[in-house]
Amino acid sequence: MSTAMNFGTKSFKPRAPDKGSFPLDHFGECKAFKETFMKCLRDNHFDNSLCRLQSKDYLECRMDNQLMAKEPLAKLGYKDLEDPPPSQADGDPKP
Amino acid sequence: MTPVKERVIRISFNADTHASLQWNFRPQQTEIYVVPGETALAFYRAKNPTNKPIIGISTYNVVPFDAGQYFNKIQCFCFEEQRLNPHEEVDMPVFFYIDPEFDEDPRMARVDTITLSYTFFEAKEGQKLPLPGYSYN
Repeated sequence: MSTAMNFGTKSFKPRAPDKGSFPLDHFGECKAFKETFMKCLRDNHFDNSLCRLQSKDYLECRMDNQLMAKEPLAKLGYKDLEDPPPSQADGDPKP
Repeated sequence: MTPVKERVIRISFNADTHASLQWNFRPQQTEIYVVPGETALAFYRAKNPTNKPIIGISTYNVVPFDAGQYFNKIQCFCFEEQRLNPHEEVDMPVFFYIDPEFDEDPRMARVDTITLSYTFFEAKEGQKLPLPGYSYN
């Protein structure tokens, strides 16, 4: 029996994550940050864009507890959430 | 990387375990809405309800198949052995983004849901999983 469709040629090839595997948080050191993030998702119809501050906080917790390699937040896609330089923060009059 | 804010994609989550793995493994959210170019975080949870430590190892799958090339995992819990002690429960994060080029691919124009499935196996000696970087023949 032959078929024109060839199921064997295309198969999903999993790729390893860019920065490897997260160590397990065996002691739940960042559990509170995870809970805050999950609550934000539940309160915002699971819209990731509205909970980026909370996800940033979770990843910072991991970095502070040796559960993630320290990286500048800008490299993790959080450039817009970083504090602006002092010269921009003050003296910006709002209408 | 600039987010494509007008292209909202629903990411849905599946969790499976191989029959011989006695973990409880499930996603902590059934879905999350993301846009290409914006990093996103999601969680799974795994529990070892038995009285002995168990080591698991996971792989993942993305459907639709053609969307998988745009699914970029920055960090997750896959492809490395993870040990859970008796009665231990842990959160397992996935940190990822959809490549902004997803929005420019005409084949993806009608894709509004991408499903991420993780499957955990028990790590045993001599077992070979289809993991990246391994050759098996």
